[in-house]
Amino acid sequence: MTNSPKGFTLNNADSCRVKFARRFLRSLIEIKTRQTNYNNNLSSSPSSSSEIRRRSERIKLKAYSSMAHAVGPRKAWTRALLLKLHNRAKRHRFRTRKRSSLAMVLKKKRVFRVKNHANFYKPAAERGNYSVLNSDEKTEKLRELVPGGKAMDICSLLEETAHFIKCLAMQVQVMHEIADQLSN
Amino acid sequence: MNRTLPEMLHCLNSVGNLLAGNCTDMTVLDRQRARLKWQQEQLQQEEQQQQQDGYFNGSDQLNGIFFNPAQAGQFPGFQGLVGGVSVIGDTTANRPVKPDPSLENGWSELDRFEMSGIGFGSSATGLANGPGFQMTGAISRTSSSPPTVAPLTPEVKSRESFSPEKTSSAAGRESFKKRKADKVNNTKGVQEDDSREKRAKGSAEEGDSKITEQNSPKNNNTNANNRESSADTSKENSKASEVQKPDYIHVRARRGQATDSHSLAERVRREKISERMKYLQDLVPGCNKITGKAGMLDEIINYVQSLQRQVEFLSMKLAAVNPRLDFNIDDLFAKEMFPACAGAGGFQTLGMSAEMSNSPYLQFNPAQQVVSCGGLEMGMNSHDMGLRRTISAPVSIPETFLDTSCYTQIQPPTTWDSELQNLYSTEFNQGRSSIPFSSQPFTGSIEASNLKMEM
Repeated sequence: MTNSPKGFTLNNADSCRVKFARRFLRSLIEIKTRQTNYNNNLSSSPSSSSEIRRRSERIKLKAYSSMAHAVGPRKAWTRALLLKLHNRAKRHRFRTRKRSSLAMVLKKKRVFRVKNHANFYKPAAERGNYSVLNSDEKTEKLRELVPGGKAMDICSLLEETAHFIKCLAMQVQVMHEIADQLSN
Repeated sequence: MNRTLPEMLHCLNSVGNLLAGNCTDMTVLDRQRARLKWQQEQLQQEEQQQQQDGYFNGSDQLNGIFFNPAQAGQFPGFQGLVGGVSVIGDTTANRPVKPDPSLENGWSELDRFEMSGIGFGSSATGLANGPGFQMTGAISRTSSSPPTVAPLTPEVKSRESFSPEKTSSAAGRESFKKRKADKVNNTKGVQEDDSREKRAKGSAEEGDSKITEQNSPKNNNTNANNRESSADTSKENSKASEVQKPDYIHVRARRGQATDSHSLAERVRREKISERMKYLQDLVPGCNKITGKAGMLDEIINYVQSLQRQVEFLSMKLAAVNPRLDFNIDDLFAKEMFPACAGAGGFQTLGMSAEMSNSPYLQFNPAQQVVSCGGLEMGMNSHDMGLRRTISAPVSIPETFLDTSCYTQIQPPTTWDSELQNLYSTEFNQGRSSIPFSSQPFTGSIEASNLKMEM
């Protein structure tokens, strides 16, 4: 741990955190402005439960997306997460029939799809790992939790889980602080 | 068995002729030839019959004869037979030699032949004596060299089979023991387990020698197995060496462990997995007591789920909060930086040491309040009510504090929260004045683990 209370020390975690905070705040602002515009245009009540729920889900997705972007595509779980989010957005956009530049982004991301799903369709035991942990019930659960976990062997799954836990913890912390900030 | 007698006697006579003079006068080659011939004849005869059983029975009979001198005495006509048989028994008994574990090398035919010389010598004495029961003594003393044959060392007991295989004596000994085990169990399926038992030397006197011969066709397979087993034992006895971190090539086997490539790779993999599990144990709070992969996995899964739930609740909280009108970029920037300074300020007030020790828990304390509040409310009230309650978290903290899970904490969250809020308010009033950029307290836990993790 660096002991410099007054100095400017930016290491990996800090930069990650700052990046995440910045992105998340920007998306938050965007959602909030949308909300205010919506509220201004309509004369309905500012917050109905369904709207809040929808908004919260959007915020949650934005949080994960900004986290993944902040970390970067160097981790398997971030790639998988970004892919999932883009697919979801693509489906959503398709439903709303909105043409966007997402197609361009998706073309870039297609590479990751091939990489991530190489082992996907094989059962865990056949992937060449003899560890008992590979086809455990709990391991399967963990695979579901960690994005991109289904395509990994237990070794890399554990590694990704560790990094994922760290990033999640950081995300929770920042979000809590922001929430505290905004609710004052 | 009776069929074998004349042949045996014939062979014996030929050898006896050779032995007319001193035993030591015989050339090695002569002895070898005679012995081989005798062995081959023996082999043929035994293969004709039911191999082991018949012979064993015969030997048992012989032994029975030997050890029941009373019975032998009952049959006077038997005396000569006993004597003759005793000769045979003697030779047969003396031929093979007791399993001498000290013998690690294969002994040559010479030795075996000298053994037979011993046998003949004692048989001669036996003949002189007549009754079979005196042979028992001779038989029991086959290991010790008779007085006539001085230069023979007592260790010349080669039990190797006849000619072709020159296996290591360990293998030979094991095969010998296997024969004995075969004899004892009277089965042919007894394998190396029996051979590994350490039987007493003295118990391997009778009859086992023959067995080595008849099992020659089997011996090839078993000797191969024995070679493997001896190889394994030798590897096991090799010096212990630590397992090096593999660069995909060099992994050394530890003492007492298997050495084939599959198990090595598996062991490397297992070590990797355990290393990662240990790292996870450090990350997840409250996992120090838990040992074992299953429990750890459970904890990890619970922890990830709780973190995800916290994110969801926080997003709900953020969605519900009313947008502030002064929500502009300046505030954004300040908020962006506030984690650093707020942490520094708040923690300085509370005391660094306390904070350090609790840093893993801190990030969860406030969040946990929200979670527990939300958890309490969501189940019970309507959505709006729940949200309002979550916003006014500090009020309901004392109630919800009892509801906390294992992740929460030692520090009273109320004081920290209030301090934080004070700090925020002051900071916002000031705008963006000199903001110390220390991110140290917040990144305490994450940073430490980052230092480990970032490669």
